[in-house]
Amino acid sequence: MSEHWRERKEGGGRFAISLILAIGLRCGRGVARLCLYPITLYFYFRRPYERRVSYAFFARIEGRRPSLWRVLQHIHRFAGTLLDRAFLLAERYARFEVQMHGLDALIERMRPDRGVLLLGAHVGSFEVLRVATIGHPEVKLRVVLDTQKTPALTELLHSLNPQIGLGVIDASRPGSEIVLAMSEALAEGTLVTLLADRVRGDEQTVAVEFFGAPALLPVAPFALGGILDVPVVLCLGMYRGGNRYDLHFEPLADGLPRARKERDGAVRALAQAYASRLEHHVRLDPCNWFNWHDFWNPQGRGVDRHQPAAERSDAVARDAA
Amino acid sequence: MQTATSSSPGAQSPAESELAQLIVDSLNIDWIKAEAIAPDGPLFGAGDLGLDSIDALELALAVSKRYGFQLRSDNPDNKQIFGSLRALAAHIETHRATR
Repeated sequence: MSEHWRERKEGGGRFAISLILAIGLRCGRGVARLCLYPITLYFYFRRPYERRVSYAFFARIEGRRPSLWRVLQHIHRFAGTLLDRAFLLAERYARFEVQMHGLDALIERMRPDRGVLLLGAHVGSFEVLRVATIGHPEVKLRVVLDTQKTPALTELLHSLNPQIGLGVIDASRPGSEIVLAMSEALAEGTLVTLLADRVRGDEQTVAVEFFGAPALLPVAPFALGGILDVPVVLCLGMYRGGNRYDLHFEPLADGLPRARKERDGAVRALAQAYASRLEHHVRLDPCNWFNWHDFWNPQGRGVDRHQPAAERSDAVARDAA
Repeated sequence: MQTATSSSPGAQSPAESELAQLIVDSLNIDWIKAEAIAPDGPLFGAGDLGLDSIDALELALAVSKRYGFQLRSDNPDNKQIFGSLRALAAHIETHRATR
């Protein structure tokens, strides 16, 4: 298995995705959720790379090989959040129970002439953020999203709510256009959301300590707050199973230095603060971790569960030594 | 995509050298002198300058401050405009609000 995760195709294909969403929107979320059990088994057996990633992830953070049940639960949670994205985008919010944490801290930082940069991650469901804006049509929201990574899913979800498609800043465009679009939106008081835990192409990276081992994060999300002089707030929508979500807002930085000279230190500090808080939330509920690749070694061949721990240079091997 | 212009390929026009100085100053570039930036060379990615997206944003802010107009994210010609010093300088000359 030398296939790089970036080249991994979307699982299931367009037909399967549209089928499950159609079932969900017609027959209700409960019926569609019954389909998640066979989907989970299908994913477990047909996606060996992601399966190994899941085993390795739990082994790393919990120090022992997870049970089969745990890995199945991980996949089931992921499938559940994908299904829920359809309901959230179709604005069928009533069925969800979303507990807000730190919303006041976000509201305090919003101004009509200056938005807030919300940094998310590939955990839980970022889409529950839309629930927070119910009853507040004046709140403008734009999401930086790579529409090319999961084209079938993105197209289907956006067909449910074309307005939301307009709010997307397409991360598959050149980097300079993405940052300019973010800058324009922030200048109009928009909340701009960005998933800050994934490095694109050959962009600059910053090393952080994450679950006791070094990991690389992209520099740009942590530099933008200073350059554009906007507050940076962590935003994580953690899925708790059933119809329950916890939406966390945590201020990460206000008044970041504008000058280039001071920026490197500020970027490192902010990236580490982000990583530490992300680790905190993931540790409390690891089944929310939806980076289906070897996060600590993204350029690697993936995770091989047959590889003896002694030959691995990761945290699990070091802790065991 | 650059068509030949009246200036020679290696030399900067006055507008180009002014922009080159702005790039070097606003991005704290110390590995290349403003007058050494090739007018037709790439600004971003591989090349002598090797600017990235963050540099693009800072450059756009510096341009808006100096020349009084915004480089927009939705301009269909962005690839060409950000392609070289010559193209960016030409775009600025056409759109600048301040002289």
